[in-house]
Amino acid sequence: MKKLTLEMAKRALKASERWAREIAGYPCSIAVVNKAGAVIAVHRMDGAAAMTTDIAIEKAWSVVMFKIPTLMLARWIDPRNVGKQLGDHALGMLTKGKGRLTCIAGGIPITDDYGEVIGAIGCSGVPTAVGDISDTSVSQAGWSALYG
Amino acid sequence: MKINLDLAKRLIDSAIKQARDMNNLCSVAIVDENGWLIALHRMDGAVIPTVDIARDKAWTAAAFRCPSSEIAKFGNPSQPGFGLNKENWNGRLTTVAGGLPIKDGDEVIGGIGVSGGTPKQDVAVCQAAIAAILP
Repeated sequence: MKKLTLEMAKRALKASERWAREIAGYPCSIAVVNKAGAVIAVHRMDGAAAMTTDIAIEKAWSVVMFKIPTLMLARWIDPRNVGKQLGDHALGMLTKGKGRLTCIAGGIPITDDYGEVIGAIGCSGVPTAVGDISDTSVSQAGWSALYG
Repeated sequence: MKINLDLAKRLIDSAIKQARDMNNLCSVAIVDENGWLIALHRMDGAVIPTVDIARDKAWTAAAFRCPSSEIAKFGNPSQPGFGLNKENWNGRLTTVAGGLPIKDGDEVIGGIGVSGGTPKQDVAVCQAAIAAILP
């Protein structure tokens, strides 16, 4: 796998939608972006809120920009870390990327055979974040379809 | 009839097939009757800004309930709509042709936006996609 194509993105979205519908049980939006952070495909499932498309796109964009899952970004803006020690938080991140940077769990990177990030999947719309019922697990379902 | 993800996907597939026949690389966006995005695909090799342009066109067509090319008439000083500003509309208002409302009878149920070719080609792709899926 060298680069993401529309065909591959559609395959990932199909698997993610199935997970969202049958296992997570919430309609949501899923976005696939390439290594530049540019959208390849976005789907909003029937019933998902309007805002979720933008959040899904921006989660995927944030993953590509930092090459780590957005779950890890969430640690940077955890207010419980403020004041503990210099470098414990990165609240200044909130204003970066012209406001596009999204530090909410749900985006995961897609890597090539050498571990280089070639794109990302982002999901938004699942209100809980426990195990299989989370944005991250919906994204992971699409991720698995790419490598399976 | 309401627009749903399944219908949106079929419209996009048909539009992309049409664009491929015309040798164009483009992005296709489908929005619901309120202008909110339902599905968006960018063909392999289509340039990056087409994503947002296609979405803007679809939003304009659905929200104003007319083809995006007709928005320019509001800029005519002799018309009552003169003074319509480009800001304050989600930043999405566009006057470029290539966005069409999707209609069920007289009722607007959504919008389609295509970007990648010349405006004329984009309109042809929109029309072909709607004609193929919604008889």
